[in-house]
Amino acid sequence: MIETKNITKIYNKGKKYQVEAVKDANVTAKNGEITVFVGPSGCGKTTLMSMIGQLLTPTEGKIMFDNEDVTSYSDGWKSVFRRKNIGLVFQHINLLPNLNALDNVLVPLLCHDVDLNEFREPALDLLSKLGLADRAYFSVEQLSGGQQQRVAVARSLITKPNIIVADEPLTFVDENSARKITDFLCNLKEEGKTILISTHDPNIARLADKTYTMKDGVIQ
Amino acid sequence: MNCIQRYKIRTIVVLLSLVVAASLFSSVAFMKDGLTKEGELSLKYAPDLTVQGISAGRQTFIETSYMDIIQGIGGVREVTQRIWGYGNVGNTLLVIIGIDLKNPGINQAQAYPIESGTFLNAQENGTVIIGKAVAEVLNAKVGNTIAVLSETNQAYQYQVAGIFNSESSIYNADMIVMNINDARVFFNFPVGKATDLNVYVSNVDPANYESLINSVARVISERPNVRVLTKNVLLDSQQTTYGARSGFFSIVWTVILIAVALIAFNQMVVVGHESRFEVGLLKSLGFSTSDVIQIRLIESATLGVIAGTIGITIGILYDIVLNAPVLSDFMIGWAVLYPTFSVPVYISAQTVFLTYAITIIPLLFATVIPSWLNATVDPDIAMRGART
Repeated sequence: MIETKNITKIYNKGKKYQVEAVKDANVTAKNGEITVFVGPSGCGKTTLMSMIGQLLTPTEGKIMFDNEDVTSYSDGWKSVFRRKNIGLVFQHINLLPNLNALDNVLVPLLCHDVDLNEFREPALDLLSKLGLADRAYFSVEQLSGGQQQRVAVARSLITKPNIIVADEPLTFVDENSARKITDFLCNLKEEGKTILISTHDPNIARLADKTYTMKDGVIQ
Repeated sequence: MNCIQRYKIRTIVVLLSLVVAASLFSSVAFMKDGLTKEGELSLKYAPDLTVQGISAGRQTFIETSYMDIIQGIGGVREVTQRIWGYGNVGNTLLVIIGIDLKNPGINQAQAYPIESGTFLNAQENGTVIIGKAVAEVLNAKVGNTIAVLSETNQAYQYQVAGIFNSESSIYNADMIVMNINDARVFFNFPVGKATDLNVYVSNVDPANYESLINSVARVISERPNVRVLTKNVLLDSQQTTYGARSGFFSIVWTVILIAVALIAFNQMVVVGHESRFEVGLLKSLGFSTSDVIQIRLIESATLGVIAGTIGITIGILYDIVLNAPVLSDFMIGWAVLYPTFSVPVYISAQTVFLTYAITIIPLLFATVIPSWLNATVDPDIAMRGART
């Protein structure tokens, strides 16, 4: 279970253009549930997701994973925590352009002490479940935006994380890909994963077990 | 390798810059090492002390009567006289050395190891031994007669008794060795005078060699109108000459190296936009700061090793196969007189390691510092900074 306690993020703190992106956010996300964050652009969803995903250090407040405060972890421990527990899907997809789809899926394993060859089949299986069996060896440039996002979803799952943090995963995705991704997320929920999604998409919002609405950095 | 292929233009520019710097440095360093080693070899059979006559501060003949005086100095084993200078064979200017075969000082047959024919005979005049490279350029064989033109434009005929192949390529390339009597006639030297006197000291414990040499040299120097040269002085003189010449290229190379470091750093900063994004992404996928730096280290080291290897290979090919056009004329300026003289090249492990250090270390610094800076910020900040 994930809990945030009064987390706040202030960019450029103390400077002329200080921005308070998230203010006193209290969130609870339970295992086996989909927690959705909705709100207009610029309301602080991405910042909140980044803080929960341990990509961004809160200015104030605590983030608890199974009652353990990870906010005070060192940079190194945060990396280890992400590596073991979190799968991230980004709004901007963020694949490595010089690699093919399969290799992109395998990238997170490079920092795990494993034999990559043993993970080729599981990676191909993930791509197959996401409807990309015939695109595994295509370079990123040869894939559509929706296909790229599906590769990114596969990449987030190759390490079998317990927590999936997806920041607006359907923004640049076609309808077909969106359906495949949402179906997949539903299956993950059934597996007991903790899933956090920020979105504008009403189709995803409908999947939510719990919904938080944000405005001007504040959870309503 | 994927990392290196990622930014092709940057990689090519950095690689080319490093290859140019590494090849220039290694070719000059190999030549300098070769010339230094050549200098050491050429002095291997040199006398412990060379005594020259001085007149008005310039070298002149030395009276052979000094030989008895020097012989009387404690620690001196033998003193011998030598007459040498230059003579023309065809269009080639060669060194003519006249050695005293009755009183040779050392076993001269070791200094000039005969490859074909025989060594000089003390009883015979009119014969010479010549270096292997000289024989090749003159197309001379044992038993042939060669004509050597003196500075008075008088031609002297000598029969080639033997062809020697010395460890020193300078000896092989420009030396004709003859009986001192023949040399005296050739150079029109008056009796009782020589070009220099060669002094050999008694065999002593190597630990005491320097002090013996210095004490003998000091006693000889007390005589009027003489100059005493030790082996070390001759070697220092050679190394200063070549060191200064290669030093010029070291400056050029240093400038190139600085340029390479700046190019590498500039590329890192410019490409840092993408690099920053990558670092942020890798960290978000679970890579630690040390993982990211390790990736960059491997990337830079690979690039540096490739550049160093290509640079060293080009340096070797340039020096050995092409005989170092342009650079060799500068490094061994006097050797243009001897068209067959190949620039001596010595490939030392020290120079090879130094070249690799030059290509790898600046790149490591230029790569690792920006990566480290990017890796120490939150991954989200790194990715946003790259995207905005």
